[in-house]
Amino acid sequence: MLQLTHIWLIAVKDLKIFVRDRAAVFFFIVFPFIFIIMFNFLLSGIGGEDERLELHLVTREPAGGLSHQIIGAMTKAEESQLAPGQPKMVRDKDYAEARRAVEAEEMPGFIAFPADFTEKLSTGSGTRLEVVANAGNTNYRAALSGVAGAIAAEVGADRVIVEASIALMVRGGVIPPDEASINQAVRSIMDRLMAGGAGGEESAFIDFATQKVGEVEAENPANFVIPGYLVMFVFFAAAVAAEAIVRERQNRTLERLLATSVRRESILGGVFTGTVIRGLVQIVIFWTLGILAFRVDLGLAPAAVFILSFLMVIMSAAFSVMLATLARTQRSAGSLAVITALVLAPLGGCWWPSFLYPQWLQDIAKITPHAWANDGFNKVMVFGADFSAAVPDMLALAVFAAIFGFIAVWRFRTSAV
Amino acid sequence: MAEEFLVVKDLHKSFNEHKAVNGVSFAIEKGEIFGLLGPNGAGKTTTIRMLSTVLEPDSGEVVIGGHSIRQEPEAVRSIIGVCPQELALYEDLSALDNMVFFGRMAGLNGQEARAQAMQHLELMGLVERARGRVSRFSGGMKRRINLAIALMGTPRLLFLDEPTVGIDPQSRNNIYETIRGLRDRGMTILYTTHYMEEADRLCRRVAIMDAGQIITLDTPRQLKSQIGSPDQVTLEDVFLKLTGRSLRD
Ligand SMILES: Nc1ncnc2c1ncn2[C@@H]1O[C@H](COP(=O)(O)OP(=O)(O)OP(=O)(O)O)[C@@H](O)[C@H]1O
Ligand SMILES: [Mg+2]
Repeated sequence: MLQLTHIWLIAVKDLKIFVRDRAAVFFFIVFPFIFIIMFNFLLSGIGGEDERLELHLVTREPAGGLSHQIIGAMTKAEESQLAPGQPKMVRDKDYAEARRAVEAEEMPGFIAFPADFTEKLSTGSGTRLEVVANAGNTNYRAALSGVAGAIAAEVGADRVIVEASIALMVRGGVIPPDEASINQAVRSIMDRLMAGGAGGEESAFIDFATQKVGEVEAENPANFVIPGYLVMFVFFAAAVAAEAIVRERQNRTLERLLATSVRRESILGGVFTGTVIRGLVQIVIFWTLGILAFRVDLGLAPAAVFILSFLMVIMSAAFSVMLATLARTQRSAGSLAVITALVLAPLGGCWWPSFLYPQWLQDIAKITPHAWANDGFNKVMVFGADFSAAVPDMLALAVFAAIFGFIAVWRFRTSAV
Repeated sequence: MAEEFLVVKDLHKSFNEHKAVNGVSFAIEKGEIFGLLGPNGAGKTTTIRMLSTVLEPDSGEVVIGGHSIRQEPEAVRSIIGVCPQELALYEDLSALDNMVFFGRMAGLNGQEARAQAMQHLELMGLVERARGRVSRFSGGMKRRINLAIALMGTPRLLFLDEPTVGIDPQSRNNIYETIRGLRDRGMTILYTTHYMEEADRLCRRVAIMDAGQIITLDTPRQLKSQIGSPDQVTLEDVFLKLTGRSLRD
């Protein structure tokens, strides 16, 4: 109880010092919004078209392949059954023709299933969806990538695996090709899948790569801009706060604290809490202004957006404290903070959508917490995914936070003042 | 013999190969002002940092108010106050905020911390500036705040590491009076300084340290009588005779 009081008092003390630093407050709240207002201004001329998006699907597989069933299932919905904003799926017959249409800019892009889709799936060796899109049409490419991702992630694990197995069993004569036996087989395979926990490994079965055609022309919706800058600035502000913690050590107040009844853990906890509170203030301002002034759409799962924001704050604060325990001087803490924040932000997709990056860069980006946070926000806010789609991103952020926090505690325990 | 409040036995501390404190032993009686003198780099601050549980000794035993600093550091921390050699203040906070904050860290509740802070600010003649930002204070005012913070929570043992460097005679006298007042109320004080005449006036006993070791320990008068008539020689003469005239560090 006493330790909690100490943690709280240290946090309040840090906040007091913070609000007296006008430059810090400016950097922390006003600065991000200058960026956002700028982007909003740039965007205001664009957009406004409310046509339903048509997403094209093509398969190179011979008839009877699984991809035909998937495309069939996806294109089945009548236009009248689609929710507002939900894209319409269109099936194209010929890959070469579709590709020509994209290059001639008659069509913005399409998703293609490879010729060996069923075969690769059923042997478990993994396969790859191809997204071919006009580089200039960022939104369309984003949407296609999202759909491809969704196919890979969701349809991938359940329906594709099950259907592949059933198709093989039917073809191999293991079960008779009537509806009753197939349904029963589906159920038993599903049961086994669930029990085996195969759900977490879907991405191993299918992944997808994005190909660009033509020149890139940036064009960002507010639903992308706001979370991107939130991720960047929450992290940036927290990282820069590491400097303040090092200052505490350098101006000897840390030593003074250590000679009182305050535990080392409480000092770390207090500093961490102060940074978290500042981050929470930041996200409240971000989302309030984002919704009221920029009309961002939190998608189907606002809870996911808030949890991702919260975890981003926790992770950033943990990073800040870790940085403070690693850096020796205030100056090195400050420059390390700025450098990491400025490198991780674009790499993690805060400035432009990372789903437009080449695959290898997307893979590298996964080492940044930013990439996970942005991935989660984009899924929910740009591609209309539901809560569960963002859970892996939440877990990733939590893991980053735990690692940073662990290093911080370990360093602070063993380090001299 | 009076009760010994602080007992130090054979304290050692090395930084890399350098022996900063090399076998220091002494004891301070309850209610005594004890001076720890020595040239730059003698190991005074390092000793105080170990006694105040901030730095871990390589070896040696320290007991404060009956509590070992190794076995019961928490108990020790609750009865000591430290005025570090370098200013240890939050420059962006007010004097009052600084004092209340450290008071609460020393275990006072909000009300007590406030009351004590005002009382100490009064003592230091800083009541009018209580709500002023420390960064705008003069050097002397900062020194007085640095000392006042050490008094928060009414510690039983006070470590004062050069509390009077860089300040004018008025501030210095204010600090002397404060320190005497504290002793009269029963506080035990370990005091380091480079002003010999200050030590002579304040301390009942002084230890002179050099190169990590205590080379002599006695009352100022006894020390002076070792080299001449106590009324004619100064403690500085003793100091220079014992520690030599070569530069340190
Ligand atoms: N953290 C440290 N790392 C390495 N060496 C140190 C450290 N702290 C002190 N020293 C060394 O230990 C020796 C004793 O230093 P200390 O600060 O205790 O001296 P002091 O008697 O307080 O000197 P002064 O009168 O100048 O304050 C010096 O040689 C100093 O350089
Ligand atoms: Mg010193």
